[in-house]
Amino acid sequence: MSRLKRQKALALFTSAALLVVAGCSGSGDDRAGLPADQQTSAGTRSGSTSGDGIRLGILGECEGPFGGFHEDVVAGTTLALARFAGATPSSKTSALEGFSGAEVAGTQIELVGIGCGDDTADRIVQEVRRLVEQLGANVIIGPLSGDEGIAVAEYAKANPELTVLAGISGSQEHTLQVRAPNHFRFYGDGAIWNAGLGDLLHNKERWDTVAVIADDYSFGHTSAAGFIADFCGVGGKVTHRVFPPLGTTDYSSYIAQLPNPDEVDGYFWAVGGTGTQAALEAFINGKGDLTGDQHAGNLFFNPDLAQALGTGIVGAYVGGFATLPPDVRSPEITEYLAAADATWETIPGSLSGNEPAAPSVAAAFGFFYGYYTAGVALVKALEAVGGDISDLDAFHKAIAGLTLDLPYGDIKLDENRSGIVDVGLSRLVQDGSGKVTQETVAIIPGVDQTFGGTFSPDTPSPGRDFPACEERELPWEGKAIPVTDGVPQK
Amino acid sequence: MKLRERMTGESLALVGLVLLLAFLPGLATTFFVNFVMTQTLILGLAASTIVFLAKYGGMTSLAQLLMFGIAGFMFGNAALDGGARGLKLGWDPWVAVGFAILVTTLVAFVLGAIASRTTGIYFLMLTLVYGVIGYFMFAQIVEISGPGGITNIQRPELLGPPVRLYYAGLVLSVLAYAGFRVLGRTAFGLALQGVRDDPVRMASLGFNVPLHRALAFSLAGFVAGFAGLLSVWWNGQVDPASISIGPTLILLIIAVIGGLSSLEGAWLGAFVYVLVLTYLRDLPLIDRIGITEARFNTVIGVIVLAIMVLSPEGLTGIVRRLRGRTRGGDTADAAPEPVPAPGGSLPVHTTQKELGGTRP
Repeated sequence: MSRLKRQKALALFTSAALLVVAGCSGSGDDRAGLPADQQTSAGTRSGSTSGDGIRLGILGECEGPFGGFHEDVVAGTTLALARFAGATPSSKTSALEGFSGAEVAGTQIELVGIGCGDDTADRIVQEVRRLVEQLGANVIIGPLSGDEGIAVAEYAKANPELTVLAGISGSQEHTLQVRAPNHFRFYGDGAIWNAGLGDLLHNKERWDTVAVIADDYSFGHTSAAGFIADFCGVGGKVTHRVFPPLGTTDYSSYIAQLPNPDEVDGYFWAVGGTGTQAALEAFINGKGDLTGDQHAGNLFFNPDLAQALGTGIVGAYVGGFATLPPDVRSPEITEYLAAADATWETIPGSLSGNEPAAPSVAAAFGFFYGYYTAGVALVKALEAVGGDISDLDAFHKAIAGLTLDLPYGDIKLDENRSGIVDVGLSRLVQDGSGKVTQETVAIIPGVDQTFGGTFSPDTPSPGRDFPACEERELPWEGKAIPVTDGVPQK
Repeated sequence: MKLRERMTGESLALVGLVLLLAFLPGLATTFFVNFVMTQTLILGLAASTIVFLAKYGGMTSLAQLLMFGIAGFMFGNAALDGGARGLKLGWDPWVAVGFAILVTTLVAFVLGAIASRTTGIYFLMLTLVYGVIGYFMFAQIVEISGPGGITNIQRPELLGPPVRLYYAGLVLSVLAYAGFRVLGRTAFGLALQGVRDDPVRMASLGFNVPLHRALAFSLAGFVAGFAGLLSVWWNGQVDPASISIGPTLILLIIAVIGGLSSLEGAWLGAFVYVLVLTYLRDLPLIDRIGITEARFNTVIGVIVLAIMVLSPEGLTGIVRRLRGRTRGGDTADAAPEPVPAPGGSLPVHTTQKELGGTRP
């Protein structure tokens, strides 16, 4: 036999040996389950690892545009389990080290793994499969981002033995269209968070025409859809819609597609993650200085922008998010933030530039809080079934029936298991010392995903052209609860 | 003698490996079969088309993931009949398969015909441009890509249980491997290698050089299309990010890890890539040396760098060198015989080696 042939044979045998070693050393149960599988669920199902308690997997993002929030989201769930299930974090300075000792009604909650997404659906599907199929997770909390949320909801639908509590993924589709019976969202979607903003801008600030610029993916579309439905619903006109791809670094060509400041009354921004500042800088270069009275944005508009871009942005309105700006305080909020500070010494959250900071800094922001609400839901559902997850249908029914008494307001679920929430609208203002802060201006109570009948399982998913700019009645028009000095006036 | 050598050496090893893979579902965990090995076969099948083009045609392509993605998008649009995304044509899944492969192959032929007059680095760059244009096309023309991708893609009923997808990957991989090997010995394959080594001489002998390259590119697209179909059935969805520049480079990296001059290297490279992606973070204390899941791309980069330094012929080249040393240190004789691709720097086998010292 020639040497070359023998070498090739050796290479093949080497790979075969590697294969056997790796295969035999693999762990995990033998359940099948692929995203494209449609498994039927007849009669009463049981948790695949019942008897082992809750095997929890958390899906975060350690790469991509939202990679800076990895610590925050894991800490969110950990805090809920520390407060209500007796969990002890393994580290005083990082949530990524995990926790131990979590138990509810005699059922242990074990953290089997933390998934690392990068904002793409492909990657998060691989991560959730690793958590479920290799590490045996039977409950998943997460993911963070819009397209990821849709992919994980589809995975949940194909794997009915799994329980998924969404993290903070804000796309509309993963509950309104996918509607997996084992998938739950204890927060609002991106459209809900902009409820009332258009009403406020049109009827109070007298904006008639607006240009919208939003990330070209499911959350950007959903956030823009909420604003457009609201602003057009009360009689405003959206003249331009520009959708740069998520992760764009040079926004100049997209800014060029926007009208000049003298051609519209204002701009609505739903550009997030690492793109917010870059997009606004491109606007300054292309259209001139920012003037707060002509801009509004979603959750990514925050006081940090003023530090980077100057105080010209003061006066801009901001849509809601899962939490409220720091001017609103209640005993529940104070207790929640204090609990975060008591659980860790420091957390390197995204709002502190991933440098160690007081845990309450991260806890006050919605990314942390969304995962916290999921953790609380898990605990409360376990309490409701007495820790018995052997009847999975009963467990899911218990989750769907929860009304959570949470620091930033009660949350209950609609028929598609998506949160009905109060939305806090705010504005960037300067305090007495000249520092830019975020001040709550109004609260829109009890907004659900149908958005006053605008969206339904039969309407298209929010996209570049949907919804159309149409006037329609919205239940909250003219009924926003004003907030003065952090106190709702009702 | 030659046939006997083949039967007792490489062919037996291959048959043994295929048999092992065929019985693997009974030997390894479900996760290992349905996640690690199915993914390995899918990525290996796609990467084998890069190796085929480089090895036999002297063309290093960065457009193979685009072909992979076109097949996925076409299948998704054709097969889905509901939901909120894509054209929702609602065709029979097997008609959708035929449609996806047909479109992919036709696109590959057109792109191959355009690229057929370039070689080396120019071919590489042109196919990179194809990949980038393809990504932006699917990202912008949302009617056929979602918007934001097509989800809830079901595989045909015949491939229902996950293990059948593994076997589909195995069968297609064996067919592609054997097909490429056999093709290399046909008149077309020999002419293609002649075109690779000396296009001017081949043209002067009357061979249509651009047509040979375009047909090879079409064949590679045809095979990559099947890999794309397996991928959407495995993932359940496809979106523009699936074919962006990052995954495109990953596929080339897989081919480079295995070795651009050996077909089996494509699957070996894919196996190593999936193993690292899946298991590296589980190694004890790995995070203590700064390697976390967020550093995965860095680790893969270091592996590629190390392999390129140790052996430009990838892992299969390293195995050859080690084998040469164990046989008495006669490494010079055992070393592969790479020659630069025309106008480029990536090595491929010489025509003489493939042809046993003859020329067409």
